[in-house]
Amino acid sequence: MSILEVHDLKKVYTSCFGTQKVEALRRVSFSVEQGEYVAVMGESGSGKTTLLNLLAALDRPTSGSVLLDGVDTSALPEKDVAAFRRDQLGFVFQDFNLLDTFTIEDNIYLPLVLAGKSHAEMEKRLTPLARELGISELLKKYPYEISGGQKQRAAVARALITEPKLLLADEPTGALDSRSTDELLGLFAQVNGRGQTIVMVTHSVKAASHATRVLFIRDGEVYHQLYRGRDTNEQLYQKISDTLTVLATGGDR
Amino acid sequence: MMKNGFYLRLALDGMRKNRRLYLPYLLTCAGMVMMFYILSSLANSPLMQTMHGGDTMKMTLNLGTIVIAIFALLFLFYTNSFLARRRNKEFGLYNILGMNKRNLSRILLWETLISALFAIAGGLAGGLLFAKLAEMFLLHMAGEKVGYALRVEPGGILMAIAFFALIFALMLTVSLARMRLSKPLDMLKSESAGEKPPKANWLFALAGVILLGAAYYLALSIREPLTALALFFVAVLMVIAATYLLFIAGSVVLCRILQKNKGYYYRPEHFVSVSSMAFRMKRNGAGLASICILATMVLVMLSSTSCLYFGGEDALRGQCPYDMELDAAFDRPSDCTAESLDRLCRLAHDASGGQESGLVSFTTLEVSGYFDGGVLDINSIVRAVDMSSPVSLLEKLRSVEVFPLSDYNRLMGTELSLEPGEAMLWSSDGKYPWDSLTVKGSRTVHIRDTLSTLPVRISTSSTLVTVYCLFVPDWEDYASDVTAYAAGIGADRSDAVCSQSCAFDLPGMDEDEQISVRQALIDAIDGHKDGNSALTSFSIGSRALYRSDFFSAYGSLFFLGIILSIVFIAAAALIIYYKQLSEGYEDQRRFDIMQKVGMTKDEIRRTVNSQVLTVFFAPLLMAGLHLAFAFPFVQKLVRLWGVMNTPLLIATSVICYLAFALFYVFVYRGTARAYYSIVSGGDAR
Repeated sequence: MSILEVHDLKKVYTSCFGTQKVEALRRVSFSVEQGEYVAVMGESGSGKTTLLNLLAALDRPTSGSVLLDGVDTSALPEKDVAAFRRDQLGFVFQDFNLLDTFTIEDNIYLPLVLAGKSHAEMEKRLTPLARELGISELLKKYPYEISGGQKQRAAVARALITEPKLLLADEPTGALDSRSTDELLGLFAQVNGRGQTIVMVTHSVKAASHATRVLFIRDGEVYHQLYRGRDTNEQLYQKISDTLTVLATGGDR
Repeated sequence: MMKNGFYLRLALDGMRKNRRLYLPYLLTCAGMVMMFYILSSLANSPLMQTMHGGDTMKMTLNLGTIVIAIFALLFLFYTNSFLARRRNKEFGLYNILGMNKRNLSRILLWETLISALFAIAGGLAGGLLFAKLAEMFLLHMAGEKVGYALRVEPGGILMAIAFFALIFALMLTVSLARMRLSKPLDMLKSESAGEKPPKANWLFALAGVILLGAAYYLALSIREPLTALALFFVAVLMVIAATYLLFIAGSVVLCRILQKNKGYYYRPEHFVSVSSMAFRMKRNGAGLASICILATMVLVMLSSTSCLYFGGEDALRGQCPYDMELDAAFDRPSDCTAESLDRLCRLAHDASGGQESGLVSFTTLEVSGYFDGGVLDINSIVRAVDMSSPVSLLEKLRSVEVFPLSDYNRLMGTELSLEPGEAMLWSSDGKYPWDSLTVKGSRTVHIRDTLSTLPVRISTSSTLVTVYCLFVPDWEDYASDVTAYAAGIGADRSDAVCSQSCAFDLPGMDEDEQISVRQALIDAIDGHKDGNSALTSFSIGSRALYRSDFFSAYGSLFFLGIILSIVFIAAAALIIYYKQLSEGYEDQRRFDIMQKVGMTKDEIRRTVNSQVLTVFFAPLLMAGLHLAFAFPFVQKLVRLWGVMNTPLLIATSVICYLAFALFYVFVYRGTARAYYSIVSGGDAR
């Protein structure tokens, strides 16, 4: 069954005095099945980030709808949106967005604390997760004491600890070196392997080549999509590259 | 070669862009110049030479000038270093764009010149404008007549210019030196230099708690006003040190303790607040402690000086219980006869033209010394009485006034009689647990009875020291023995004095008339003295005459209290304002992240609000606590000045605290607006 359904999504940005309108997204429709790992690709300015913000209910669409597990997020009142985001969605950002006033452990606990969980429950969830993500040794440290790759793994732990229906990742490898990138992508695949649905926005071909499906966005529309099928990462990588070349040279479908 | 105008423009531009920071800074500078000028011009005013009590007032005002000068120096350095941190970023950018440090120095020079010019010119303009107002206010409080001539005090102007020019020159030197030492990239980053989590310094926190406890204990345990005076500054220093330690280290330790309590810490309403509070306090502890101390100073100053001023009349009546009192001192007790007492009364009657009322006359012997267990030691006081004496000795100081029992019977209309060697006793502190009183080396009397009322009103200025009044049946013998003993050990005559007094009120006479009665008395005694060689010295106390002395002292203290309070409050407000701004910039990013992790804007606003509230109202609460514990101290200090009205002091303390709290809330609300506009992204810089 579809966990995420996007229907005819449209977002128009209006400048301060309403004189200029920019259409960031027009007619975007797709759906994501339970357990899928979807990469959304596109150049800068293609509308990727806008799409992600709409999926996360950080922003409201001009028209169209986003259904997460059957709930229309664009219709939720503001006070419910935050709780919804907290309980149903996990976020991983390019620049980690860890709070420097918290230890790694407390950063990971943040969404659970906000949800009012007891400390015993939090610990029970964190221990296996930390082992899986290889950050058990880092829990008592502060963000400034650890590397970028470690920070990103902590951010993944924070995203997953609520056991979200959907993990949203915005350029998760953008600030990482190649070794950390490999590690993180390995983790994503592993997490996906145990049934976690992931939607990742990226313009890294390498990152996208780990997904089970790749959506290409250009000028605010879903332009093309690739399924992995039985391809290996390398084969998918090649296909993505080819598609991007076509996109960049402006070929029409 | 670029023209100077270019650097001037850059400097002006930088200041204009950061006007949110510079404008309050410049206004504070100008305010300090203004207050400095007002105080120094008043102190140097010719009025001080002509008016009654002008010397005291001049001294008080000069003291105030010095306090403002020292405070201005410290405070302007503090604010300047705050500005420098923001400015460095801009300079770092200029540096990378190709300006060398000489060029940057020029911008800095211009900036300092502009600031100095604005502050000094603005401050003097304000000073000239308000000096007259301040003078009128001061004279009114001192009970003097007020003239309206506007006056410019060139000495004050020169002093203000010289002093503040010096401060700005010093600040420029420091800024230049700091710039020389820094690297351009550091400058760019200086504001967001990596931040380590605050370490909980248990030792400092503990030291703070202990110091504060000791200071509070000191304040509560002191009973004698003189001891309070001697220990006041010790206690003040302890409280200042403890406040800094507690705000800087104690607050972090407290947060750590709360974090250890998992059931408390991992709750939505505490989680974010407690952890970011630790960081906040690390950065702001010193600033908050400064606010707290400034607030405490303002409160103590205002509550005590206003209590003195409004309780001044009481103090005056305490010190001069009668409108007029004529005291004559005699060398020999045998000279204190009924005839000489009559003569004094006749003099008083003649000089006041028969308008005197409630006239009392009496004979006394006054001795003082250290008192221990019913024994008064005159000898010890001959050797050492000064403020540097050990505190324990000051507390033992007692004054004993010995009256003839016959005076008591005459004044009270009683027929009491005592055996020789017996006495009745009245104590100013209401208790005397011993059954005899011995003047060491001389007489001992057995206390037959203690009295609850005295036949005369004695001057309560001497209640700094406990007074015992003794009524003996054989006064002349007693006094002869004691004075002979005192002379034998080489005591001053003032250590054992025989005197006769005649005190009376002059109802229906105004102050000028009373003062002329005093003059008539002096003339009459001068005429009289030749015929009576025994009358060696006399003094005439007139309440009307003292009144202007009192109120020039209390009025100028209150005035100074108000002026200094304005300066301190302005400084505290500026610190608060800068805190809010810097917090705002730091919270902006955090705000953003929390929203993405699933907090609603409302939740974030509430969390931030509660933190900001805690941080800013902690100093106010702490200042209230300080004020409460300082109360016994302040009470004793105002007693030293003759005001014993405790309810009045409570009232002024409470009113001052409430007024200050109200003002604080206004400042908070004003600055909170600046904060929220930054946090909500209205000002992304």
